[in-house]
Amino acid sequence: MGKQIIEIREALRQAIDEEMTRDSKVFVIGEEVAEYNGAYKVTKGMLDKWGPKRIIDTPIAENGFAGLAIGAAQTGLRPIVEFMSWNFSFVAADQLISNACKAYYMSNGRFQVPIVFRGPNGAAAQVSCQHSHCVESLYGNLPGFIVIAPSNAYDAKGLLKSAIRSNNPVIFLENELDYSDKMEIPTEEYTVPIGKAKVIQEGTSVTLISYSRMLKFCREAADELTKKGISVEIIDLRTVKPLDIATIATSVRKTHRCVLVEEGHVFSGISAELGFQIQQHCFDDLDAPLIRVCQRETPLPYAKNLEKESIPNKERILAALIEVLR
Amino acid sequence: MVKYNFFSSDTEKVIAFMGKEALINALRQMLSIRHFELRGEAAYSQGKVGGFYHSYMGQEAIQTACIAACGSSHWFTTTYRCHALALLLGASLNELMAELYGRSTGNAGGHGGSMHMYTDRMLGGLAIVGGHVPIATGAAFSIQYLEQVGLASFCFLGDGAVVQGAVHESLNLASLWNLPLICVIENNQWGMGTAVERAVCVQPIAENLAKSYGIKSYTLDGMDFFNCYAGFQSILQECLTTKRPVLVEVVTERFRGHSISDPAVYRTKEDLQKTMKKDPIEHVKQELIKRNFLSEEEYKMMDKEIRDSVIASMKFADESPWPDPMTLEEGVFAPEEME
Repeated sequence: MGKQIIEIREALRQAIDEEMTRDSKVFVIGEEVAEYNGAYKVTKGMLDKWGPKRIIDTPIAENGFAGLAIGAAQTGLRPIVEFMSWNFSFVAADQLISNACKAYYMSNGRFQVPIVFRGPNGAAAQVSCQHSHCVESLYGNLPGFIVIAPSNAYDAKGLLKSAIRSNNPVIFLENELDYSDKMEIPTEEYTVPIGKAKVIQEGTSVTLISYSRMLKFCREAADELTKKGISVEIIDLRTVKPLDIATIATSVRKTHRCVLVEEGHVFSGISAELGFQIQQHCFDDLDAPLIRVCQRETPLPYAKNLEKESIPNKERILAALIEVLR
Repeated sequence: MVKYNFFSSDTEKVIAFMGKEALINALRQMLSIRHFELRGEAAYSQGKVGGFYHSYMGQEAIQTACIAACGSSHWFTTTYRCHALALLLGASLNELMAELYGRSTGNAGGHGGSMHMYTDRMLGGLAIVGGHVPIATGAAFSIQYLEQVGLASFCFLGDGAVVQGAVHESLNLASLWNLPLICVIENNQWGMGTAVERAVCVQPIAENLAKSYGIKSYTLDGMDFFNCYAGFQSILQECLTTKRPVLVEVVTERFRGHSISDPAVYRTKEDLQKTMKKDPIEHVKQELIKRNFLSEEEYKMMDKEIRDSVIASMKFADESPWPDPMTLEEGVFAPEEME
């Protein structure tokens, strides 16, 4: 089996490229995806390879091009829509909310919407209040959407390929700060199934659950405890919705304690749902109340120190782990 | 008063082109729409139908002429005022009435209701004002991407929708990318209770708006089936041969309020009477009688036959089973291919 060490952006590009080869109905549409090679270079070189019919630059009109892509998906194509930032999807919210996730059910199965919306989610480096929101709990609240948030190149590639092959609308969440993260992955084709969480570190004392970029801080905090002889089990959700509650419950039944880490806000967040489901499935197994580490309840501020303080970090996660283990 | 430059058409030519059979069929379809709306409203008043109910009464000539002139193989998208289009594209009276009744035999299995009706070529029945126009633009995009010859995407929208950003973005994209999109603004004079001149800054709408996108526009008389037929026939040809989108404004007036719960007090009785004198069904009927294509007696028989089948559809709906609550959470996701 061949190996390659590549960045997340390259893993995403390979996924798109392979799926475009596999199916002529797959195309990419979004702002600056073609001639500019992508705002974050995920689509670098793709215009040269595939031409303007399948790598399509749009004007700055998210509501228009997102809706157009949904209509195209309903009429036989398989679009990949890039949002330069998921924060710009709010301009297209009507199309995502009223059409993409509802058309299949509303038409009683007559029209499928095989579409992937992808792009960087959440905070980057001091991009401030209007460019930093995490969207997973907003879109996760809408029946009909699949929500995926990979944390590494292997999963990013395998899950994006599965997302493109899905017959349903997928919210695919990447992270601007992680695009350059490298990892060794196979050169051979593979997919990662949607809806499967992964235990990325086995442990016995406490379960630490997160997804996407926050897992870095989770690992750092867990390493601190390892030094003290406390073993932490870490779960990467990979798919936020549908939630793999089986993997989560198995772990919590083993460790009896759990900390939930989420980059997004605390109120109505993914960890609120996770926590509810854990108490539902593992009530008698819990030895301590669940603890959440989430973004504080403000629009994400610009100042470096405030931004750092608002988003979960190693120190806050470590404090939560120590508290839950008390 | 707005000065419209109507598409110039010759009723004689349309009649000669269509022929007796097609004309009678068109009249039959318009009557079906009229009776369906009358009975749908009656069922609503009896509490058999819930939600909102937007009647197409008064506007029947427009979509009937469009389908008669252009055929039903294109993509079609319309607003919540959607019963007529579904009927014209082949949905049965039974399935449409059953959908109003919220039954399992309904057009969308009871998932959609009055505002969400479909056929294999009709993407809805979509109920966010203006929000369906990008969807129709996407259907036009698919036609172009798949290199499907002779097809266009028709999008019906109201005068109230033209001030929505989604409409602007769609028209810009359609023109920019040469998409076969035919946007048909059915200007029925009112966006709910707001008169068009209180909502749209420039009139006539299509004629002015189209200039901003460098596309052609046409204005049709929505109370005149023959003008609509000739107009749509020519507009489709223009769209297909120039490979450019076209903006159409059809001037019409609904006979009812915005929805069934709207008594339309903003419109005077006299104005409504004046409008109802321009009944498009009566117009077609008179033209056919004048030419001996139809006798008054035959018309009455046809009218009764249609009324009876609509009444039968109410019986069908009423006797149809409710959707099984066991299936409530089924069909949210489309099945995936197994690897």
